[in-house]
Amino acid sequence: MNELIQILPVLTVLVAAVALMFMSMYGEKFTTKTYIIVSSLALVLALIFSFIPFGELYSLRPYSNIFNDVLIFDTFSNFFHILLILGTLFTLLIGEHYFQERLYFKGEFFSILLFSLFGMMLLANANELVTAYIALEIASFSVYIMVGYNSSDSKRVEAIFKYLVLGSFIGAFYLLGVVLVYGATQTTNLSEISLFVTSHTNSELSLVYIGFTLILFTFLFKIAAFPFQSWLLDVYRGAPMIITAYMASTFKIAIFSFFLRAIIQDITPMIDFWDSIIYFITIFTLVFGTWLAITQKIVKRMLAASSIVHTGYLLLAFIALGQNIHAAYATVFYLIAYLISALGSFGIISHIISETKVKVTYDDFKGLSKERPFLAAMMTIFLFSLAGIPSTVGFIGKFYVFTEAINAGFAALAILAIIATFISVYYYFKLIAMMYFYPTKEECLSNDFNDRRISTYAIGFLAIITVLGGIGTAIVFFIPVLNIDTLINITQLSIQSLFIK
Amino acid sequence: MSADILSFIIFLPAVVAFALMITTKHIETVRNIAFLTTVIILALVLKIYIQFEPSAGMQFVTNVPWITSYGINYYIGVDGFSLTILMMIAILIPTAYLLLWEGRTKGYWINMLLVQAGVTGTLLSLDVILFYFFWEVMLLPVFLMIGIYGFGDKVATTIKVTVYTMAGSLLMFVAILYLGVAYHNEFGIWSFQYDSLTQITSLSYNERIWLFLAFLTAFAIKIPLWPFHTWIMETYKNAPTGAVFLLSSIMAKLGVYSIVRFLIPIFPEIYIEFSTWFVFIGLFGLVYYGIAALMQDDIKRMFAYSSASHLSFIAAGIFSLNSFGINGALYLIIAHAIATGALFLLVGLIHDETGYKTIKDLGGLAKQSPIFTTIFAIMLFANVGLPGTNGFVAELLIIFGVYEFNHTLGYISALTVIIGASYMLWMFQRAILQKREADNGKDLKFRDLKIKEIIGLTPWVILIFLMGVYPDIFIDKFEPTVTHYLNDILQIGALK
Repeated sequence: MNELIQILPVLTVLVAAVALMFMSMYGEKFTTKTYIIVSSLALVLALIFSFIPFGELYSLRPYSNIFNDVLIFDTFSNFFHILLILGTLFTLLIGEHYFQERLYFKGEFFSILLFSLFGMMLLANANELVTAYIALEIASFSVYIMVGYNSSDSKRVEAIFKYLVLGSFIGAFYLLGVVLVYGATQTTNLSEISLFVTSHTNSELSLVYIGFTLILFTFLFKIAAFPFQSWLLDVYRGAPMIITAYMASTFKIAIFSFFLRAIIQDITPMIDFWDSIIYFITIFTLVFGTWLAITQKIVKRMLAASSIVHTGYLLLAFIALGQNIHAAYATVFYLIAYLISALGSFGIISHIISETKVKVTYDDFKGLSKERPFLAAMMTIFLFSLAGIPSTVGFIGKFYVFTEAINAGFAALAILAIIATFISVYYYFKLIAMMYFYPTKEECLSNDFNDRRISTYAIGFLAIITVLGGIGTAIVFFIPVLNIDTLINITQLSIQSLFIK
Repeated sequence: MSADILSFIIFLPAVVAFALMITTKHIETVRNIAFLTTVIILALVLKIYIQFEPSAGMQFVTNVPWITSYGINYYIGVDGFSLTILMMIAILIPTAYLLLWEGRTKGYWINMLLVQAGVTGTLLSLDVILFYFFWEVMLLPVFLMIGIYGFGDKVATTIKVTVYTMAGSLLMFVAILYLGVAYHNEFGIWSFQYDSLTQITSLSYNERIWLFLAFLTAFAIKIPLWPFHTWIMETYKNAPTGAVFLLSSIMAKLGVYSIVRFLIPIFPEIYIEFSTWFVFIGLFGLVYYGIAALMQDDIKRMFAYSSASHLSFIAAGIFSLNSFGINGALYLIIAHAIATGALFLLVGLIHDETGYKTIKDLGGLAKQSPIFTTIFAIMLFANVGLPGTNGFVAELLIIFGVYEFNHTLGYISALTVIIGASYMLWMFQRAILQKREADNGKDLKFRDLKIKEIIGLTPWVILIFLMGVYPDIFIDKFEPTVTHYLNDILQIGALK
């Protein structure tokens, strides 16, 4: 019974995805709203199931005679399930407006969305390299399809084709890496590879080194680190706005979930080997991302480019992993912070442009504070969080990452990251300046907004979380659940569960 | 309750601001409630001021965990230094409200309240992370105020001031984290409280110098010390009156205060080693900005330079590291805040009424507005440091301090005060007294002060003379702190 509870969240999502697919066969009978409600309810159900074992330290391999230990269910995966489900749920809720205005979102879209979530959740559970590949491909292919959904945009062909070809190409690297690792260790199971690594000397591990380097390339590609970032701008540009939000936040978390597990559980003894590579990759990711972000005129592209910079901060924590296990907590915490603020900021834009066809350049934001003061204030909060201004969760995330990086001896890198942060203040504040300091542009004027809808409430909720996550107990002494310490403790608990043998 | 009174003072304006933001659209209601809030705070601060025991060190301390995993505490308290500045802020802000009374929007008042929360928080925090938190947050409302209500090329100005101050803050942020990590490595626990950070001994000389410079840059930009002043001219010229008042009268002082609170106690030996340089930079700034002020035509720009000049003098007093210098600096902080604050507000009034703020366009205001001219003159004399005003006492103390530090620099500082007198009086004569020359001498339309404004300014005028004639009753409140502080610094510095 206990084993069943563990797999219930994943199962729920899978069942819901299949059910939605069957629903979409009767296309005309259901409205988009129905699909949104059904998939949201399924997600809420999955969320409730994931909360049952929440907060305990455990590590289980349920039904090991069926699954043969390829899937592992522990606090870590549980924690990531919750994040992924929440990310998807908020994508749905914030995108509710966008989905209903854009007629190309038919029923099967929601099925695909849940399939991608299923793949990501499986990825968080994967304890075996080939399983991880399959999970990753389930998620990736669903995302490829969703990127190409915008049938009215000519850019979508470029976006989907670029992403598909490059993604498959890098997938081949991954498989080659798995083969090499298998050649050396005779296994693809992470726990067994870990045993092999600890019991052999470095000279016997050369194939494993090469194999994991190739696997690392896949990782860097998926999180869009330099030099694998070139797909990102065009893909984000061509994808429907709300899918961009989904990719930038939720998908990134899923990628990190597996690779954190692989690295911490598996190759900690040999991680120093990659330090110098990741060191330079971090530098270039930060510099290049910053440069890209300054030069953008379209807000969506700016946010996309700045997500490369955030990848740089994450890598900064990642590189400190070898010296300092606290860096893993920092990575996870930063992922949460980024999930909230990226989802919020992309989500607001998708909500604003739902009824129009504007390109969302900086100019289009002029005077938003007078037109829709509530949304402008929310956007400001999310941008503050992205820029790491105190009183938002983004600040705590940055504090965490930089402290651990300095603690692991990467002070120079931390200073570079601070300079990147400083420049990011420029491009984020430029948007705030547009919203508050200019009169409204004529062609963007419209009076018939209806902001009393689910999208707005979801955005507002995220904004409140952003601020509470940054202030924590300073004001809410009396609400123990909402403070930063609880969040930090949960991240620590989840990482610790990786060490249960 | 007595311990939480400081938290109440910090967060009341913020809470009121958010409440007003969502509840009402009526500008008068917003303004009246905001004003009432500042008066309540003034009353509370007065209560603290009376209860404060000068010889007892840090008081009204609240120290509760905030982020326990990193030893970050919500740690606030008040001693002689912060009490004096707290009192000053509490008195200044309600009067500023009275002078800004008409013609503002709802956002203006809400931002004013938020700034008050930010500056009070910065002033009272004793945990470095908490301090950084407020230090950044207090900038955001000012950023909005300049951008929304400013004049001229306001957006460029806003970006410039943000970029400048952010650069300093982020440097300081790295330095704070570095110190925290050093403390963690040495003692095995995390702590960011200022009194813990002073115990760090494991850092090398070079590391300490870099950290010192990182902190100093952040504070020097806010003050501004030479050569970090290039942002203030455009900002003070283009910013709305309220923002200029807040920047010059209050935030600049917090830069000086932070040097006293964090920089010197954490790096005493570095500081003692280089103190001659800093006193010199302070005096150099005094002369440099003074001469620059002589050549300005825009009055707000001139006051910007004048303000920078005085703050450099304050810094010189602090850096001279003896009780004369520091007492004088604290005294000048208050004297200058009152005088400059009033002058900026009065010039704002001229600008609102006549539409001009350049000396060549103004003139002949004295005839139409005797009360205005009288108060303007008093503030001007206090600013210049005429005997009988508080400015005189303060400047004299600082000159003594610098003299004790180094005789030659002392003589120089005594001479430089005359520069301040010359630009101020020259401006007064041309812009207010003398008959107008622009537009063929046509008189400007200008009103005298209203009753409300006079009531607002009266406490300031009284304070100027009271502090000028009986300095002891004020100095007694903070002198024990200063003496104690100096003993500590010199002892630690000598040990290291």
